[in-house]
Amino acid sequence: MTQVLEAARPAARAVPVRRPFRLREWLEREAVFSWLMLTPPLLFLLAFLGYPFCYGFYLSFVRRPVAQPATFVGLGNFVNLWHDPIFWQAVWNTFRFTAAATVFKLAGGLGMALVMHQNFRMKGMTRALLLLPFIVPTVLSTVAWQWIFDPGMGMFNRVLMYLGLVKQGPSWLGNPTLALVSVILVNTWRGLPFFGITILAGLQTIPGDLMESATIDGAGSWQRFRYVTLPLLMPVIFIVTTFSIIFTFFDFQLVYVLTGGGPANATHLMATYAYAISMGGGQMGLGSAAALAMVPMLGLVLVAMSSYVRKA
Amino acid sequence: MARSDSFRGSTSRRDFLKLAAAGATGATVGAGWRPREARAKPAQITFMRESSYVKEFDEHFKNVLIPRYQQETGIKLSYEIVAAGGSAVPRTVSIVESKAPVDAAWVQQEWLYREGLLDVSDIAEEVGRQQGGWYPEIKNLSVWGGKWKSVPFGNIGQTMVYRRDWFDAAGIHTFPDTWEEFLEAGTKLKKAGHPYGMSMGHGFADNNSWLLPLLWGFGGQVVAKDGKTITLDSAETARAVDYVRKLYKDACLDDCVGWLDPANNKAFLTSQISCTNNAMSILISAKRDLPDMGKVIDHALNPKGPKGRFHSLVPVTHGIFNHTPDPEAAKHFLRWLMDPKQVAAWYRSAFMYHAPFLHAYDRDPEWDKEPRFKPDLRVLETGKLVSWPAPADRKAGEVVNKWIVIDMFAKACTGVPTKTVIADAMTGLKVIYG
Repeated sequence: MTQVLEAARPAARAVPVRRPFRLREWLEREAVFSWLMLTPPLLFLLAFLGYPFCYGFYLSFVRRPVAQPATFVGLGNFVNLWHDPIFWQAVWNTFRFTAAATVFKLAGGLGMALVMHQNFRMKGMTRALLLLPFIVPTVLSTVAWQWIFDPGMGMFNRVLMYLGLVKQGPSWLGNPTLALVSVILVNTWRGLPFFGITILAGLQTIPGDLMESATIDGAGSWQRFRYVTLPLLMPVIFIVTTFSIIFTFFDFQLVYVLTGGGPANATHLMATYAYAISMGGGQMGLGSAAALAMVPMLGLVLVAMSSYVRKA
Repeated sequence: MARSDSFRGSTSRRDFLKLAAAGATGATVGAGWRPREARAKPAQITFMRESSYVKEFDEHFKNVLIPRYQQETGIKLSYEIVAAGGSAVPRTVSIVESKAPVDAAWVQQEWLYREGLLDVSDIAEEVGRQQGGWYPEIKNLSVWGGKWKSVPFGNIGQTMVYRRDWFDAAGIHTFPDTWEEFLEAGTKLKKAGHPYGMSMGHGFADNNSWLLPLLWGFGGQVVAKDGKTITLDSAETARAVDYVRKLYKDACLDDCVGWLDPANNKAFLTSQISCTNNAMSILISAKRDLPDMGKVIDHALNPKGPKGRFHSLVPVTHGIFNHTPDPEAAKHFLRWLMDPKQVAAWYRSAFMYHAPFLHAYDRDPEWDKEPRFKPDLRVLETGKLVSWPAPADRKAGEVVNKWIVIDMFAKACTGVPTKTVIADAMTGLKVIYG
């Protein structure tokens, strides 16, 4: 049988079935179509993300003052940063800022989503209003926050004084501890809607049957939340937290506008410090090294978080 | 420092008018575009500047100078304005790095990119000769390696701005002459509910403009004249730090330790503070929007310390980028702009907000229109670059942009001991100077 088939093959090759080329059919082939769809975003990413990243990577290993040629220094820039106390303060600030803001956003966003999941009047409008902090440009809202934090005329101190809690309000942006608290507060305010809306979307996918079954089995509202809602929300919470950590870790605008990293570097983040070195100090190589140092640090955080979630 | 003797008193108002007339004649004769060949004439010159706090200044450029230049040369003049408050330096850095189509600019912090600037010695020397000579300190910024890399324009005078009515009410009828008297007056005023607001945050002018002169006045210096030896750790610096801590505690609003540059304007105009160090923008805003307050604001020179009276310059200089496609055209524009026919009216349009580095304007009638602006002129006599006495190079720029000296004082105000803040600043300086 095999021999017969083998014998038949040359004849089949000799007379190939030629089908006319049809562009539409070619385009509909999965391999072609998928590449066709992938190519524009890939080119976009390569041009606007890949190239700057690779250039930044290269810069971090050279001494490259503005308007001067580059000189290869190997790990010299990283060694310089290692001995720089302001860099370490910025690293410490970045971790505290990211951790605190993410925890507050997660707790607040979960609460916001649970409330938004209930039925009440004007639910649609309330949901839309809650998105406002996310929609307003950061620079604009931060300027508004500058007024809110003003020691004499700011809303916070006025309310504190009106309630008789203090005779003179604190200096929100002048005291180093309060300044860091203030930037965390503003970041939390801005990031809450992202958590709230995303977790709400997750909540809406939880089947009602599960809740009914749990209720029939005698579960109270806390138990339903703890043993039904929360486990089913975990994938969404993990994704939203991961994104938030990335955004918060790289935050720049808020601190740049609100405090410029002051007072006495109390709010300097790695991003603002990298900017100060490269654009203010003109040391493109050193600034790139400071920026690049964020990547492995953030990578470690994300890896640790993902392994913890897997174990859980 | 007093201005150079060769210029002292050499330019009377009449002399100035003669100079202006001579310049105007020269400009009229030479203003027309004389191309090397007809086809070489560029279609456009782009000039970039940070927006001025005095809106009349930018308006004058747009409404008077642009049409005049276009009419005289047939070249379109494009005026690119960058928002004030820290955007101009990054924009200039990106222009130099990307060779963006900008020909000339206000080259703020030019130590960052002198290699990207054209030699403009011929223009600067000609303008200096024509208009009474340059104040000497600005040459330490504009002249590098024996060549002028920028043409000085003017200094944004930073002086003490204070509420005369509140000072009078506290029994202080003349502005304190020494830092000790300044502290004494501030203590009284704070008790009366009118504290000072002296910026110590991560701004770029209102912090350096009083903390550096104070440090110098006490005898402290950051880096020696050789630009290599770090000299900050001294008994004089320690005394200056102790003084600032006491001033902050006894005389200042708590918030000022974290202020960026706009914050003291806001606090002053909302009557939260009785004194700050600022440019004349507070008085200009008050006269325009709060006339009653405008009547009781006054300006004074920085108090003096044991080693004398100092001011910190906020210099405005114009440069031409190396990558300009037509260097001759760009130089023609800058020469035309600095001609008395153009530049004198431009200075005056902003009420001498940019105090000219040229002695020809020392007795300009514009100074008499608002005597409260006159301290800005005297700032030129005692004004030093932020790097003083070291050269204004990249390293000195890095010290400024990392706020090392400012943070030394700010940390002291938040309770950190003097020895520690000086040691921290020394560590920061060693990272830069090696």
